[in-house]
Amino acid sequence: MMKKKQKTNLVLTIVLILGTLTVFFPLYMAVIIAFKKPSEMTNDVAGALSFPKQWSFENFRQAMEVTDFWRSLGNSLLITLVTIVLAILIHSIAGYVIGRGMARRKSFRFIYLYIVSGMFVPFSILMMPLVKQTAHMGLGNRAGVIVLYLVFYMPMNVLLYSGYLKNIPEALEEAADIDGASTWTTYWRVVFPMMKPMHATVAILTALGTWNDVMTPLVIMSGTGQNTLPLAQLNFQTQFGTNYNLAFASYILALIPIMIFYMICQKQILNGVANGAVKG
Amino acid sequence: MKKKMSNRDKTFWAVIIPVVILFFAFNTLPMIKGVIYSFTNYKGYGTYDYVGFRNYADLFTDSRVGKSYLFTFKYALAGTILVNVLSLIMAVGLNSAIRFKSALRGIYFVPNILGGLVIGYIFSFIFTYILPTVGNVFHIGFLQNSILASEKYAWIGVLIVGVWQAVAMNTIIYISGLQTVPEEVYEASMLDGASKWKQFWKVTFPLVMPFVTINLVLSTKNFLMVFDQIMSLTKGGPAQSTESISYLIYKNGMDGGQFGFQSANAVIFFIVIVAISLFQMTVMNKKEEQL
Amino acid sequence: MAKRNIFRGLAAVLALGMCMTGLAGCGSEKRADGKTEIEVVSYKPEAVKAFEKIEKRFNETHDDIHLTISSPNEAMTILKTRFIREDYPDIIAIGGDINYSNFLDADLFDDISDLDEVQTVKQAYLDMDKELEFIPKDGTYALPYVANAAGILYNKDLFEENGWKVPTTWQEFTTLCNEIKQSGTLPLYLGFKDTWTCLAPWNALAVGLTDSDTCNQVNMGNTTFSDTYGPVAEKMRALLDYAEKNPYAYGYNDACTAFARGEAAMYPIGSYAIPQIKSVNPDMNIGSFTFPANDNESDNVLNSGIDLQFSVMKACKNKEAAYEVLKYLYDDETIQIYLDDQGGIACKDGDFAIPETLKDMRPYIENNRMADYQDHHYPSEMSVDAMIQTFLLDTSDNAQEKFLKKFDSDWKRYNRDLIRKVQDYQKEQEDAQ
Repeated sequence: MMKKKQKTNLVLTIVLILGTLTVFFPLYMAVIIAFKKPSEMTNDVAGALSFPKQWSFENFRQAMEVTDFWRSLGNSLLITLVTIVLAILIHSIAGYVIGRGMARRKSFRFIYLYIVSGMFVPFSILMMPLVKQTAHMGLGNRAGVIVLYLVFYMPMNVLLYSGYLKNIPEALEEAADIDGASTWTTYWRVVFPMMKPMHATVAILTALGTWNDVMTPLVIMSGTGQNTLPLAQLNFQTQFGTNYNLAFASYILALIPIMIFYMICQKQILNGVANGAVKG
Repeated sequence: MKKKMSNRDKTFWAVIIPVVILFFAFNTLPMIKGVIYSFTNYKGYGTYDYVGFRNYADLFTDSRVGKSYLFTFKYALAGTILVNVLSLIMAVGLNSAIRFKSALRGIYFVPNILGGLVIGYIFSFIFTYILPTVGNVFHIGFLQNSILASEKYAWIGVLIVGVWQAVAMNTIIYISGLQTVPEEVYEASMLDGASKWKQFWKVTFPLVMPFVTINLVLSTKNFLMVFDQIMSLTKGGPAQSTESISYLIYKNGMDGGQFGFQSANAVIFFIVIVAISLFQMTVMNKKEEQL
Repeated sequence: MAKRNIFRGLAAVLALGMCMTGLAGCGSEKRADGKTEIEVVSYKPEAVKAFEKIEKRFNETHDDIHLTISSPNEAMTILKTRFIREDYPDIIAIGGDINYSNFLDADLFDDISDLDEVQTVKQAYLDMDKELEFIPKDGTYALPYVANAAGILYNKDLFEENGWKVPTTWQEFTTLCNEIKQSGTLPLYLGFKDTWTCLAPWNALAVGLTDSDTCNQVNMGNTTFSDTYGPVAEKMRALLDYAEKNPYAYGYNDACTAFARGEAAMYPIGSYAIPQIKSVNPDMNIGSFTFPANDNESDNVLNSGIDLQFSVMKACKNKEAAYEVLKYLYDDETIQIYLDDQGGIACKDGDFAIPETLKDMRPYIENNRMADYQDHHYPSEMSVDAMIQTFLLDTSDNAQEKFLKKFDSDWKRYNRDLIRKVQDYQKEQEDAQ
């Protein structure tokens, strides 16, 4: 059937474009404040909304120095990237084993329910014992935060992977089996590449969750001198004092990396999020 | 053939056992420990005694804990409703025949990728300085005082920020829901001469019902666990009117020397979350069947 | 092929992970260069500059010990989180408050009475620390360093220009406030968004209006807060009339800035705020006076407590090195470096000048008309600061009654383990006799 081209709804388009102001306004405020000098902060509306007199990067330079920006950025990147890679490797094979095993064995069905029910466990109940436990195990650091993320995101990711598995016919694996390949080899050679769309979804959902997380690094790493980007904002609140311009420069710096990432992978992110929710 | 299967089984177990151990060690074990701590008067350091059910008894008489539950529920309820209504409207809008469709979708999703803490700091400034300035210049009474300083309305300030961030995610989900509705269905109903409004309720809505379930469960859970926004906007104030359960557990459990007591609070919180989620899913499943 | 790539990737990632963990480990062991590492955690981020200077000087003059003083933001939360992790620094620098009592009660500190420097501490401050012990303990567990004083800070230039005089009684104070108000200036600035700032005027009023051992008296069942704190609550509320509109919208930083910019004539906060205020306006002429809580000048008492003191942790592996650090910190010259930067009153006996900003308080300090902050006895989880804020926000007629009633009932609940402990101890003492 020929697809009928619907008439574009111009009024709605305009309304929706105007609506983006709700998104842009706070960000606009943040950007101009970040560029202003403390003396430019006035108490009238026009002054508050106006551009800074001079677009100087001095605030940003200073903010980078105060918050040790590059190190925080490095920590955030490291934690997020390592978590994503390990999540894709570990959670996918776990999802595969559980998904296939469930069909045949009760015990795997039980393991599935056990892990997925972890989704309901709020971090609050785990927080205090985990602080003690990770410290005892020598994991009161970035590695500990990664291990915890792997556990926290396991329920969702296992659910996603084992659900996606239904789209992959088992016949393929059986064929490889007959060729004499081991289950292990078959998985990495045949199944793992086929789950590619799910890898993207998992990577994006995990990344969005870990990148912005405050609470886990706050309780696990505080006092070690290592910060993630959000944690640095929290920890340097007093250093900023009342210099809002400096503080906002730092906030903008903290937002830039994820904004860049979003601009590059916008399509994949939107698809990934939709995918995750629909399958999950 | 039989031997082959057992080989496969071996691999399966070899994979799953370490995974289960990892999960047990960092999820189940701390949970059990949390339950044990909840029966003590532990401060987090030093020595402690077992105090039986005293913490639990205290929980139900502690007005601060009660207040935090009230706030959290109020916040989660209002947030869930607002977010779902708004995002359904947004989704319908963004799914219609409009120009710049993908660009608009992209822009509206931006709040969701930004961290709650930093967004909270930005809004805190807007609430404290910008809006009162606007209120004073244009003599708009309710804007003249910072909303975050009002015991009555501070929670609305937190709500605005929470909703601002959460709408995006649910919109995307509703859009993918709307896209599952086949074009023919609309055409058929159009031939019936159904009005747009009727068409939405009679045709579209039932078909996206499963997505409503997903969204309700997701947003309720997220709103119940609100932490970042509280940390950056109000720190629980004024007059402890915006202390969420998560925030209270963190604040008094880690800092206030109530390790044991707040563990009990966390146990109750866990039960509450499970109960609410199960309730939502059962009710929604029934609804879906009916439709 | 794909498999091998994945493993290579995995190996790289794991290697990366290992590197990171390697970076984290540290403690009070020997450093790579053979020096003994001593870690001090200070709870005063505002003093970071002074401590950096002291740290540098120490390390330049010591070959065998390396000193690190860190002053993190939200240090108390961080310290407690570290205690929960059993990751102890060697020395902690905290205030003489309820946290000290709790840590001491948890047996985290070492007895330092064999340190010679203890002999040079003014007796008043050793007594103050003794009063903070839930159950009297033998020995000395803290080296009091600097005391602060909380009353009212005022803008000296503004006072001079307008011919305003420092008030000495509550009557004079309210008259002055009204006068300032009429002249178009804001008399007071309050930063009540940060709830802890509510405690500054509260404490200053409480020492003047109630007995210094009120909390102990309540614990022993001799009185209630409803009976004693009424006037404090009343005068606390009276302050609101003279402050900016809606003080709950502004935090400590905002209030410091506003005061520094001359937006208000007075600011009821402790002397610890002076460095922060000066950072906004370095040329500001700040004075401070004892809170005129009473109608009779002679009844007024200066609110002064230990702002900073050092305690050696039990977990410290090298006590000798820790003592060496304490000795250095307690050297007159080092103390002066700290005082020059942060102001305050030295706890060491000796010839330390009382800073210009505290001049009006001098008679009180010299005649020892001082009392410790009452909130040093309030359990932190009771959040008295937020209770005060709630009370001030509550404009109903019986707000004060409700507040004091809650104060009493909450006090009993949060202190019950402590009250029982104290009673057990008293009983033990009686039995022993």
